[in-house]
Amino acid sequence: MARLNRLGDLERAVMDQLWDTGQPQTVRQVHEALSARRDLAYTTVMTVLQRLARKNLVVQIRDERAHQYAATRGRDELVAGLMVDALDQAADSEDRRAALMHFVEQVGADEADALRDALADLESRHRPH
Amino acid sequence: MSALAFTALALMLAGPVPAVLARSSWPLRAPRAAVVLWQAVAAAAVLSSFSAGLSIAAMLFVPNAAGRPLVGITGSADRLGWPLWLASVLVFGLTLLIGARLIVAVVAVAVGTRRRRAHHRTVVDLLGECRHDMNDVRVLGVSEPLAYCLPGMRSRVVLSEGTLSTLSATELAAILRHERAHLRARHDLVLEAFTAVHTAFPRFVRSGSALAAVRLLVELLADDAAVRATGPRPLARALVACASARTPAGALAAGGPTTVVRVRRLAGRPNSRALSLTAYLAAAAILVVPTVSVAVPWLTELHRLFSAP
Repeated sequence: MARLNRLGDLERAVMDQLWDTGQPQTVRQVHEALSARRDLAYTTVMTVLQRLARKNLVVQIRDERAHQYAATRGRDELVAGLMVDALDQAADSEDRRAALMHFVEQVGADEADALRDALADLESRHRPH
Repeated sequence: MSALAFTALALMLAGPVPAVLARSSWPLRAPRAAVVLWQAVAAAAVLSSFSAGLSIAAMLFVPNAAGRPLVGITGSADRLGWPLWLASVLVFGLTLLIGARLIVAVVAVAVGTRRRRAHHRTVVDLLGECRHDMNDVRVLGVSEPLAYCLPGMRSRVVLSEGTLSTLSATELAAILRHERAHLRARHDLVLEAFTAVHTAFPRFVRSGSALAAVRLLVELLADDAAVRATGPRPLARALVACASARTPAGALAAGGPTTVVRVRRLAGRPNSRALSLTAYLAAAAILVVPTVSVAVPWLTELHRLFSAP
């Protein structure tokens, strides 16, 4: 579990670096930036970037001089994508819902009142369950 | 059991029975038994339609005294007359088509669901924080109170900073118990089956009602697990708090009535063992009739085939 967490931390650090600079980076540039705060091998950084590329989170740009990596989507875009799934806002929502199991279905404005009433009713009851 | 009986059973299980079941309110007081009953209805519907198709198509083959087919498919045309023969061949083809459609849907839903889920999990693992005390939980840095789970082999429960700051400790415990109940019981597999049936047969058959009903029932099962741990009030408050989350665009979703149903149920009458038992018996009866009716003649035929001199 600790090893997996460390890998996750590395992936996050690499993505943060790509997002913060906003430009394609070579492995060397990313390695230099990250080495300031942790002891990392060059090959480790390369492996992480390749993993991220396989997950379609970064894309490799083949330059004549050196390979560069760029994030495929910005951080906000990814968060927005998660929120769409999480709040079930997608157009083909019936299809999408199969991927996650939502804790609760979002209520529309007309349901909100009924919901508050139902909660008030429950709170006012004294029966133990 | 004759082809006519199978056909009648299949038609009933595909239309009227699901319609009535979806409208009834007793499942709220016996959710687990109701899920089992829905599964029995769906399985029996599929089984009966296959049996109906195959029994009709069996008219194409006529066994002789020893139990072997007397003539081939084309030969039976003389015996049956062309219209009836054509109808039988069509029904046979239709039966095969139904089977193929179902298999394709099961595979498509399974693959598609897992792919979407894996992508979502990748992003959640990247953007979400792992809190020390809860290994399977990820916390997203958004202010909206989110709560959901990603089922599967590498399951996750996903919350947000908003959830942690808005809800009390017992309310959070209720949510965690609810989500973990989903993951432990693999409710996602039950839903996947009904999603596949709905994907294969979206019209003419009440597959949409079945899917919607089972979705709600599965939530009720997880709700009951949470209530056993924390009581009804924390769960109800958590439901209300999380049900009004806004999208980044700020608009409130147009939702369904299930949330209100769930909160009202927490204040209502408890589950009924009598209703449960009745539902289990009905499920058994619905499954047994077509299964036995299919199995017995086929087993007899097989026995005759293998024991013929």
